This record gives sequence, structure tokens and C-alpha cells, in this order.
Amino acid sequence: MPSEKMLTVKDAILEALFEEMARDDRVCIIGEDVGVAGGVFGQTKGLFEKFGEARVVDTPISEPAIFGMTVGAAMAGLRPVVEVMFGDFITLVMDQLVNQAAKIHYMSAGGYTVPLVLRTAVGVGGNLGPQHSQSFHAWVAHVPGLKVVMPQSPADAKGLMKAAIRDNNPVVFIEDRTTYNVKGPIPDGDVIVPLGKANVVREGRDVTIVAVSRMVQIATKAADILAGEGIAVEIVDPRCIVPLDRETILASVRKTSRALVLDAGHLDYGITGEIAAIISEQAFDYLDAPVARLAAPNVLIPCNTALEPLIVPNEQQIAQKIREMLNA
Amino acid sequence: MPEIVSREARLSLLERMLLMRRFEEAVIHAAAKHKYIGRNHLYIGHEGTGAAVMAQLKPGDLAHTTHRNHGHIVGRGADPGRALAEIMGREGGLCGGRGGTWHMTDTSVGFQSTSAMVGGSIGLATGGGFACKQLGQGNVSVALFGDGVLDEGISYEAFNFASQYSLPILFMCENNEKPGRRETSMLAADRLLDIPKALKIHTMTVDGGDVEAVHAAVGEALARIRKDQVPVFIESQIEAWPGSHQHKPEFTTGETDISMAWDTGKITGPHADWIRQEPILRYVRKLLAEKAAAQADIEALDKKVQAKMAKARDFAEASPFPQAEGAILGAFA
Amino acid sequence: MTEKTFAQAMFDALSISMEQDPTISVFGASSFVLGRGLPPADEKAFIAKYTTRLLDPPVSENVLASVGVGSATAGLRPFINFGTSSFAFEAHNQIVNEAGNARYMSGGQLKVPLVYHMFHGIRGIGGAQHSQSPQSMYANCPGLEVVLPATPADAKGLMRTAIRSDNPTLFITHTKLLATKGEVPDGDYAIPFAKGEVKRAGKDVTIVAMSLMVLEALKAADQLKALGIDAEVVDPRTVVPFDAKVVIDSVKKTGRLVILEEASLVCSVASEIAAIVAEQAFEALKGPIIRVGRPHVPMPYSPSLEAFCTPDAAKLVDAVRKLLKK
Repeated sequence: MPSEKMLTVKDAILEALFEEMARDDRVCIIGEDVGVAGGVFGQTKGLFEKFGEARVVDTPISEPAIFGMTVGAAMAGLRPVVEVMFGDFITLVMDQLVNQAAKIHYMSAGGYTVPLVLRTAVGVGGNLGPQHSQSFHAWVAHVPGLKVVMPQSPADAKGLMKAAIRDNNPVVFIEDRTTYNVKGPIPDGDVIVPLGKANVVREGRDVTIVAVSRMVQIATKAADILAGEGIAVEIVDPRCIVPLDRETILASVRKTSRALVLDAGHLDYGITGEIAAIISEQAFDYLDAPVARLAAPNVLIPCNTALEPLIVPNEQQIAQKIREMLNA
Repeated sequence: MPEIVSREARLSLLERMLLMRRFEEAVIHAAAKHKYIGRNHLYIGHEGTGAAVMAQLKPGDLAHTTHRNHGHIVGRGADPGRALAEIMGREGGLCGGRGGTWHMTDTSVGFQSTSAMVGGSIGLATGGGFACKQLGQGNVSVALFGDGVLDEGISYEAFNFASQYSLPILFMCENNEKPGRRETSMLAADRLLDIPKALKIHTMTVDGGDVEAVHAAVGEALARIRKDQVPVFIESQIEAWPGSHQHKPEFTTGETDISMAWDTGKITGPHADWIRQEPILRYVRKLLAEKAAAQADIEALDKKVQAKMAKARDFAEASPFPQAEGAILGAFA
Repeated sequence: MTEKTFAQAMFDALSISMEQDPTISVFGASSFVLGRGLPPADEKAFIAKYTTRLLDPPVSENVLASVGVGSATAGLRPFINFGTSSFAFEAHNQIVNEAGNARYMSGGQLKVPLVYHMFHGIRGIGGAQHSQSPQSMYANCPGLEVVLPATPADAKGLMRTAIRSDNPTLFITHTKLLATKGEVPDGDYAIPFAKGEVKRAGKDVTIVAMSLMVLEALKAADQLKALGIDAEVVDPRTVVPFDAKVVIDSVKKTGRLVILEEASLVCSVASEIAAIVAEQAFEALKGPIIRVGRPHVPMPYSPSLEAFCTPDAAKLVDAVRKLLKK
């Protein structure tokens, strides 16, 4: 008898936090407004009431210090989940993230581990402008020593958060705000989604879409449009960009011989370039068309609802791109 | 010099405050009308501070402020129609709709930038102060920021830098934190002033609800900054507006009724205490008591400001949204 | 033309610029080119001439980057040296959220004519924190120009353009290049951005490299010549704006592309170049695009481990031979 319940992405992550905090006393939450206020998006609601101020820690607006402190706490035996309110604010913790968290395990030859989760919200939408809409996942991916998770479905978000908390490395957990209210079924029980394992969310024979985070949902709409035209799209959701499940991506491209890579972050020097480069290098002999990419143009994100739609590729653009790829 | 004596100067100060207030009220109405989903941080209740600062800046002086910037920019003399259009994301906005509520710039009045990064303005203003000193034209740079900025490490670096290099900067802190209530900022020091003071910056503290007191303090500070080429830190203590919430402002105190200054019986409801002490009504009461103006003068002034804002609103409403394709232009010079 | 070191060439460009434009101030001058083998008399005269324009500020990268933006928007042309690129991470917020965004947010009212200089790369026992090559991270943020010169002449010409640019420019140089020598044009000399250069012509394979990797690529090309492989070496010189044409033209000629990258490959400049070529020159490709870079680990300290992780001519030669099956 299936007893799957439905939760939003936001609540699925929150459920993972409740379960992991109950399971392991070392798990704690650190960040601005995560405690009494329950998070600026309600993403930590109820944790403070249940686990108290010793484990749900409100901090000053001091991102570098908060993050530095989290690294030290993780080295000393805690398993903190630290929140950096907006993805843009990762810029404020770059030194601690790049020069400390990412390197300590390697530099100490395994003497220390840094089991922390840095969770942050990104996403274009809601008129938040160029300092509160950016997603710099390509940077963190570029830094050796960091794992980078980018969930899009509620079940994945929950299972990946649990895996991230139990991982012994610093994990950057990037949530797209625009997916927060997306609802989906959550499997019962303590279900972990392993880091570094992609998911083929839709099977098809004609073309592979590799879509990162929210782009999976937009790609699905495009695939529905194309299905009506007799084009069968396969969609691969990497779920983690580090470690990246190259095998699942390459297996799909070997089958379809065509690939389109999608991201809501900036195109230039972003994750689409990396995935396209891997496919072009390792599936070269299978390709019937150049690997195509669609992502945010190389511009700042305007603080303007009229201009925002220009930033993230939409289903019509994706469908059109695929038609061009098949006709080439 | 800091003392305001002339009737004209006093009324002009009030007019500036009223413009700031009526502007924010227009923003609330526009937000409701257009189901505007951006996040506004309104300046209501802060007018006594912003007006006193902006009234005393000279052409060529530079201002860097924060996300709570609407009052600053119209107080500095930017066109309220273009400012409102910017907040509404319109082509006719000060920044062509690229910056929005959080990022307003008007170089024609030396309004350099408003950063939505906590601590953003304080570093930039330090750079502005460095430029003022290097360029040697006697200009000063002003940073307006909230108390939360002192949580950020950059504030320490900025004070140290400004002090080391003797830069002409006014650090104007708008502290709207209730004593003992740790809502936005958390500072272990007892007083904000202790931080800049430790770095040898002259500090002052002032009642932000009393515009003439702020005016006097800012006047003294600016004179010192211009003469000695040093930074000064002022903490203006402000009673936070009850409508100020993290995401969306709520019109909790209603539209300002200027007659409440003399007809105090009208002040009722859960926020009566805030209304009684808010800087505009307080200043009106003072001007009336000291016979600097009559009720009719005040009403006429408010009408004039409201007429100006009506024009501004019409301009903003009529301004179209920018061509979407334009979004991808303008990152580089 | 005069033979000069890379450091001298950068100094040339800086002093010519400062001579012409009184709004240029240098923050962190002493760790930039001073003390790096310039003629002592020149250095002394330079310091004496610009006492008020050469500053050695407190160790406050965060506010320093911000001072750069604030003073640039107020009319100066600051030149800010962070020293090793790892320290610039302390100022990342200011570089990305203020410098990169200012012009756009203001609808073009503000301009940010500033240069951020930093040293990148594996310099020899720099360990995990002081061997980094962060160029692709900056290139991923719109609004920042990113320059990576390889030769003394390019350093001079690109530095002149960087200082004249009205955009924030990251001028990223390799510590190991400072003492390298080359012919440098005399007098005022500028090279436009987005204009790559074929450093060596060849017909069998295109090698793309930047900064120190250009020197390694040229070394590799010599070795490949002995094996009968005629390699073309292309240096785009600027990452943003990027000269895709010079790379694509070369690939159309050779049909093969190998990219030598000093950074970790994941989301690197090499990845972007590979993706661009794979998309825009697909028909011309006779084989897969190969990237040679450092493995995805923090840089180890021990010289033997470091050597293993360092991309160089030998690793490039291996990759080219494998691709050409020779």
C-alpha cells in the first residue's frame, strides 16, 4: 500500500533537517534568522522550538566569521548546516570556503574532516536584482575539495540533504528558490539519495537534455511540447555537479547522439561549458550534432520583472533549439 | 553655524522630510496597485536623519547608501518621478529599470550608489572619500547605513582605513534597533560608537527623531570633516517604523495626516505611541510652538509636496517597461 | 624594441600611465612590481615622484576592493594589487557584487575604471592556498574583464589597455613570468582586448594556452616538431572579452584542439573554450577536444606531488601524441 505523502521542496528539506537533527546530536543549524524567525523563507521553521538555541544558532550579520566558525566547529566534531541566506552572499565567505573548508582535509592528509553543509538559496525571479539573484555554482564546482548539490524535486531535495549531512566533506547545497513551492511525493522512511548519482527523469531516443536544478522542470515542459511533434527527449538531472555522474550523462548521449545542456546560471565559464566539454571529449564519436548549450546570458540580473524573463531559458527556446539540432 | 534660525531654512527642511514621506506612501500605493513583488525597505520614520544630512551636502559631495535608500535619493534632490519609475521597473527610471528599489543612482546629484549588500555602502564611501581627498576639490563623502553594518567585518576595515588615511567621510549610522531587542543586528559592544572610537574616529550620538538636533550634529561634523580632512561617525537613534518588515512594508500607521500635529486626539490605535514621536509631526509641533509657522503654512507646504508627488506618480505610471531585449545590454562600458 | 623582463614591462606601462593621468593611484605598490628586479635608480625615482599616489594600505582586502570601486566611480583610476590571488577571495563580494554590478545597476551612469591585479598559478611550494588560478571564477561574473598575459610585450600592451578601460579589469599574472624576458616595444604601446595571437603557426593541431601555459605550449611545440607534429599555439590573451575567432580559425585549419590549462579543469577557462569550439566548429573537428589541466585536488606542497599535479609541456606532448596517435 503506497503511503507516499506530498511535500514541497522547502518542506522536504526541512523534514530532512528535523530527521537528521533527531538522529544525530552533532547536527546543528547556524545562520542569520534561522532560529527564532524560522528562516527568511520559512525554511527552518520549527527547528528552534524543537531543538533549542544551543543547536539552532542565530548569528550576527557576519558571514565570513559565521562560516569560518562553522568550519572550525566541523573540524572539532560537529556536523553543522550553515545557511548563507542568498547564493550571492557566497561571495562573502569565499575566503573561508575556498582557502579553508575545501582544503583542510587534503592539507592535513585526512587528519581533519570538515563535515558541514553550506545551504544557500539562488534563483532568478521576484525582482531581487543583481545582488540577490546570482548563482555561482560554477565557482564552487571549480574549487577542489567541495561537493556541490543542486536538487530540484522534493524527494531528491530531502534525500540529498540527508546524504549531504552524513557526508564527511564540505557540501555546498544550492536550492533554487523558484522550486521551493514545487510539490512532489516523498518516499516513506530514511531514504538517502547518494551524492554523485544522476537521475534519468525522462527517457527518450532522439536527444539528451542535461539540465541542472530548476532547468529540469523547464526542460520537462519543452519535452512535452516536442513529444507532440514526435520528438522523444531524454532528460538527465545530474543532481550533483560535483561529483558529476559522467557515466549516466555519457550513456544517454551515446544512445541519442545529440546533447543540449541547460543551466539557470551564467553561460560563460559556467557548468554548461564543463558538461559540454566532457561530452565533446568523451562521446565525440557518437555525436551527430554539436553539443548545444542554453543558459543565462552574460549580463547582470536586472532588478526588473519585465527584464527578468530574458535571463533564464524558457521551454519555447529549448524546444526551438532542439528542433534546430535535429534539422541540422 | 549648525543652528537653523531662518524660517525659510526650517520650512525647507520640513518640506524635504514631507517629500521623503509622501514618496514612500506613493511606493506603498504603487506596490499594492501593481501587485509589485519586489522588496521595498521604506524610509518612513527616518526622515529626520536623511533630511538633515542631505540638506547640508554641497554639489560635488558624494553619497553612498543602502537598501533603505528611497528617502535618501529624493532627499538629495533626485527627480521623484524618475526615482519612483525606477522602483516600478520602468524605462524612465533613474537607471532605466536596471537597478530597481535597491540600486538607485543619480550621478547628477552625486548620489553614487545604493548597495543591497550589508556593509556595501561603507566601503564604497571610503573609496569616495579617498577620491575626494586625491582630487582635492574640498568635497566629502557620506555613507548612510544601518546598525547591522557594524556586524560586518568590512565596517572595521573601513573605519581603520578612513582613520589611517584621514579621509573626509561622514559615517552616518541610522540605528533603528530598539535597545535590548536583537532583531537585526547583534553587537557585543555596548555602544556602536565604541567601535569607530577605538580606531580614533570622532563620534557623536543624536536623537534621530529631532531633525534640528540631527541638523546641528551633521553641520558640526561636516565642518570638522571639511576643515580637518578627517572622518566623523554619527549614530542617529531612530524609533523604527512599525510597518517596516523584512520583506514587504505594511501600511500599519496609515497615510500621514499632518493635522495630527495639532489635533492630537486623532492619534489612536495600536501604533499611537510611534505616531506621537515620529519626526515629521514632532517637527511640525515644534515649528508651531515656536511660532515659526502657522497651521495654514504647514497645510500649504504639505499640499505642495503632494502635488509634486502626484506629478511624479503620473510620470512613473506613464513610463513604459523597458524593452526586454535590453536586459542583455549594459554590463560593460 | 628593447629586451625587458615581464616585471619591467608592466612597470613601463604603469609609469607611462601614471605620467599621463594624475588620477591613477596604486594600492599595494610594494608587492606589485617594485623589488622585482627593476633598475634600482628607476625604482627610486618612481617612488620619489609619486609619494602620494603609491599606497601601502592596511591588510584589508575587503575594504580595499571597495575603496577601488568607490574611488573609481568618483573619478579616479585606481590600480589595486592584491598580491597572491588567494587573498582576493577575502574581497570577493566587493569585486563581484559591487565592481562588476555598478555600471549595469546604474543604467550606465557609473563607470568603474579600475584594475585589480593579482598573481595566480603554481609558483613552487605555494601549497593549497597560494597556487590558485581563479580566472574562470571571475570570468563567470558578468561585468568583469579578465586579462592573462603571457609575454613581456603583451604584459605592457594589455596593461595599458586595462588601465585605460572604463570597466573593472582583473589583470592576472603568473609569478613565474615576472623574470622572463622578451622584446618589448618602446614608448606608449597598447594591445586591444579580445585580440588573440597565434604565437606559433602550425598545421597539425591547435594548442590553446594562456599566461605561463603559453611558454609550456611553445616548449611542447618544439618537442612535437621533433616527432613530426606541426603544432599551432594560440594565445587568446584575454578571457573576457574573449577572441573566439582566433581559436576557431585555427581549429578550422588544423582540425584538432588541445587546451592547456593551469587551473583545475572543472568549470575552467579550458572547459568554456572547449564548449565554444565544440559548438561552433563541430564540422571541422577530426577528433575530440582534449583538455590538459591540473587534477581536481587542492595543490599539494611537496615538490614531487606538486610536479605531478602541474600541467606542463611533457603532459601536453603526451596528450597531443595520443590524440594524433603518434
